Amino acid sequence: MKNVRVWFKKDDQCRYISHLDLNRVMIRAIQKSRLPVWHTEGFNVHPYITFALPLSLGFRGERESMDMRILDDNLKLDVIKDELNKCLPNGLSVFDVTEPKMKPGAIASAKFKMRLSCDEYSVEELYTKLQEMLNSDEILVDKKTKKGIKKIDIKEYFKDAKHYDTENDVVIRVTLPAGSTTNINPTLLVKAFFEKYSVEPYYDITRVDVFDEKGRAFE
Amino acid sequence: MIKEKLEKILLKVQKPGKYVGGELNAVIKNKDEVDVRFAFCFPDTYEIGMSHLGMKILYSLFNSKPYIWCERVFAPWIDMEEQMIKNEIPLYALESMDPVSEFDFIGFTLQYELSYTNMLNMLKLANVPLKSSDRTELKNIVVAGGPCACNPEPVADFVDIFFIGDGEEVDLEVIELFRECKKSGKTKQEFLLLASQIKGVYVPALYEVLYNEDGTIKSFAPKFENVPEKIEKRVMMDMDNSYYPDNFVVPNVEIVHDRAVEEIFRGCIRGCRFCQAGFLYRPVREKSVDCINEQCHTLCRNTGYDEVSLSSLSSSDYTQIVPLLEKLSSWSVDENVSLSLPSLRVDGFTEDILSKIKSVRKSGLTFAPEAGTQRLRDVINKNVKEDELLDTCKVAFNGGYSTVKLYFMIGLPTETLDDVKGIADLGQKVVSTFYQAENRPKGKGVRVTVSSSSFVPKPFTPFQWEPQDSIDTIHEKQAHIRENLTTKKISYNYHDADTSFMEAVFARGDRKLGEVLLKACEKGMRFDGWSDCFSLENWLEVFSECNIDPHFYANRRREFTEILPWDHIDYSVTKEFLINECKKAYDNQTTPHCREKCSNCGAMKHKGGVCFEKRSSLV
Ligand code: SF4
Repeated sequence: MKNVRVWFKKDDQCRYISHLDLNRVMIRAIQKSRLPVWHTEGFNVHPYITFALPLSLGFRGERESMDMRILDDNLKLDVIKDELNKCLPNGLSVFDVTEPKMKPGAIASAKFKMRLSCDEYSVEELYTKLQEMLNSDEILVDKKTKKGIKKIDIKEYFKDAKHYDTENDVVIRVTLPAGSTTNINPTLLVKAFFEKYSVEPYYDITRVDVFDEKGRAFE
Repeated sequence: MIKEKLEKILLKVQKPGKYVGGELNAVIKNKDEVDVRFAFCFPDTYEIGMSHLGMKILYSLFNSKPYIWCERVFAPWIDMEEQMIKNEIPLYALESMDPVSEFDFIGFTLQYELSYTNMLNMLKLANVPLKSSDRTELKNIVVAGGPCACNPEPVADFVDIFFIGDGEEVDLEVIELFRECKKSGKTKQEFLLLASQIKGVYVPALYEVLYNEDGTIKSFAPKFENVPEKIEKRVMMDMDNSYYPDNFVVPNVEIVHDRAVEEIFRGCIRGCRFCQAGFLYRPVREKSVDCINEQCHTLCRNTGYDEVSLSSLSSSDYTQIVPLLEKLSSWSVDENVSLSLPSLRVDGFTEDILSKIKSVRKSGLTFAPEAGTQRLRDVINKNVKEDELLDTCKVAFNGGYSTVKLYFMIGLPTETLDDVKGIADLGQKVVSTFYQAENRPKGKGVRVTVSSSSFVPKPFTPFQWEPQDSIDTIHEKQAHIRENLTTKKISYNYHDADTSFMEAVFARGDRKLGEVLLKACEKGMRFDGWSDCFSLENWLEVFSECNIDPHFYANRRREFTEILPWDHIDYSVTKEFLINECKKAYDNQTTPHCREKCSNCGAMKHKGGVCFEKRSSLV
């Protein structure tokens, strides 16, 4: 038995499914592929899979990963990739299968690309307003925590964010804390914008990559 | 472009995954390479529609023809509907994302009377004229099938063509005819006249109804020569060779029944007198063990589902049930596929079957005695004996079960308060049985759920002439059950009487109700099958604005001689048989099921199925 890490993209129609749905889709793809994947034992038998870091509904993911155990040590990793790809819906595609090098718990941050636009402002106006907000002393926003809603200042997290405008939208690139300890969802910026200007921009967010504490790409 | 507009709104609605398509096995074709585009509309949510077997069969069947592209359309939930209207997004089909108004056919499956408003609302969201007479060109042909098509009259103003009976052949014949008519430049009227010649096709615009002063029907007749007076249902007699999909569209988001489904037979031998399906789908036609086994295996392999449900109206009546379960187990266990058998009958629930299903998955135990006393069960011809039910419960309790659900109906013909009390008593007896079972699960209490729905008299049943209990009477009966339940081990829940009342109105409605539906649609009513949206008050307002009395349809006793709105539709079961069954009901007399004795219902004319099986009693 060996552990493998399945790397995939979540995009197109599949960006609109929740983490729970993704879990179900993957389990069915494994079942359909008939790959020798280790199953949980007991009452409700199903292939055992774990995801490194859940992705919010609506986000695209360029380097997502899922771990599972393969019963046949001689099975080629490429075969796993090809067989799974035959069984996945549009919007989910496996681009690599590797042997895991880090533990999912090592993940400390994630890099996002956000595209924002809105009907109320032109791209230039939106850009100026966002810049104004990012340059202010604090960016306060309500964050849901286990203990209820808390006002937090996200200025700190977005201080290195790069942003520029294109023809259709404003693009922001930012790396945010992610993983088991702190998670900062990039939509908090959208929320803060709404709280400040009463305009809710459309957002299209891609999680580009995930890193460990030292900023090394998760492998 | 619909797709771009959608991207902006999808994150504002619940479960956006159901509005984007792209599922595994969804069929994508090039629209320039097909002759006919068919929008298969399910007048309810994605979660419900995607669970529906009939839609899966027809979707795959249509798409198996290279010249047809069939796509799926579901009713957007209210949050999505609001966004679509606000952003001027018309109703679209999930495969191509093209507007429904571009399709040649707009097909609906009518499973439930309270989804009629959804059908109209979907046409409205598609910007397609609601009334058949307002759609004059040979496009956007609105067709409908499904059990509610047995009384098409309430929606006759909106639908161009109804398919009566099994759809596998007649649908394709009509699509093929359309293709020819389109090529040769025929008008819609010419097409409809030709279509009416096909067996199983009902074109309501070709008939005229006249009414008596009291609102009953005076006459119903074709307007043109050659248009048939009676529309006979279509039946697939050879189930093994009938089309069955080897693939299902596998949804990305969770739906109601998220598993592979295999139909093991069509029809039901029982003849419960309240059950419309039991009469509409006669005679019983089975698939062979080998056929079922192969279809199940293929489906699981192609979809990745790890559960297959054996579907029929009464699964344990399948003659080869034990050999079938054995055959399926030969691969299902190894492939981690579990089997589920819904609609099991009490007397069919043997230890043998129990062990087969349990070995894979332990599900709850449900029974539907439907009535609380033997007398009333005889009236409705529900052949469930109390001691059998309790014996089965005992077997199950000894086998480790501790929860039981019991389903009943209230408001049945001839019902008294004693019969109603019998419901509570039966629940009580199940509780006692638990404590008598020696090997019952230790340390666990028993939980019994008693549910009651209100009886809705349906066309093509022996009770089609019966009045429905008034809402007040139903409420009294519900209270009576509650008062007679003395233990906390039993929980009681009931189906809302208001919705059953509207269901009864539309089930036996006539063409006059078209106006009511139109008005309801104008007022924005839809999702009436959902308690979130249904409002009796709104309905009563619509009825009074149209000057139509809903009680005329729901609560009136009809004479056997009255012309019923659905009399021109022929489901093979004769009116004499239904009248006879109704009279027997009043005498508390039961009728044996098809395998015990043929009662000559009329379905024999299809020359097959159970009507020609060898009966053991004849040997
Ligand atoms: S003709 Fe007889 S056997 Fe056939 S369906 Fe009717 S009652 Fe049953």
